[in-house]
Amino acid sequence: MGIRRRAEASHESSHGIDLAPMLDFVINLLIFFIITAVFVKEFGLNVNRPTSFEQQNPEDSESIQIQVLNNGEIWIDGREVDVRAVRANVERMSAINPDTGVLLLANEQAPTGTVVEVVDQVHLGGIYNITFSTSN
Amino acid sequence: MQATRHTPDSEDHGIDLAPMLDFTINLLIFFIITTSFIKEAGITVFKPFAVTAENRDSGNLLIAIRENGEIWMDRNSVEIRELRGLIERLHIERPDDSVVIIADKSSRAGIVAKVMDEVRAGGIKDVALAADPSAGGGG
Repeated sequence: MGIRRRAEASHESSHGIDLAPMLDFVINLLIFFIITAVFVKEFGLNVNRPTSFEQQNPEDSESIQIQVLNNGEIWIDGREVDVRAVRANVERMSAINPDTGVLLLANEQAPTGTVVEVVDQVHLGGIYNITFSTSN
Repeated sequence: MQATRHTPDSEDHGIDLAPMLDFTINLLIFFIITTSFIKEAGITVFKPFAVTAENRDSGNLLIAIRENGEIWMDRNSVEIRELRGLIERLHIERPDDSVVIIADKSSRAGIVAKVMDEVRAGGIKDVALAADPSAGGGG
């Protein structure tokens, strides 16, 4: 009885629950989450991949065909073009037919850097519907 | 100020911890929410430049392709044959994952296309090609 009375007395004199242990625990959790937080920001480009059915007839007349050869040369409409000229070509063709998409036909040995540059230039030319296909 | 300092309430305790606790718990909740469990590729490659690259916040599974065609995922080198199984398993665990393929500038387009196909065959349809928008670009 005496003990309980003393406990009650001390309880009543303070605020209620002692928050300090909870605070310790919460701060530990906080430190854990701060340390494990990974702030990775990836920037990326979206391209479509054709299904196997579409892949069989790449001669789709409705889309602009851009070829990237294994040495990094870029060909549009049977002409070799510079990577800086891709944008102008795409803009011209999308002005003729605004709904058109781009079929990017890359050689398997073509460097990815060139392929991504072409995708970027096509985006700048205003077409976001790009299908990425490879040939050997 | 004088009046409050001498009330019996504030005399038996030192500092009132409640506001600090509120603040700390808010911080904690912020960090819990923003923690996304990104599976990093584990290697650095030279990414191609592209001005129009968009921020891919949701991309939390990174697959890197090195110059020589090696594929790295979750800090391990993986074979192209293993990739589909790994992707399938991760897709079952967390269905809303999306993939960012970080291909080296001088890696081959064929291997990138194969990795894309394997990822899609493994069930993840949201695949993007990583690029660096900060420098270069424009040709």
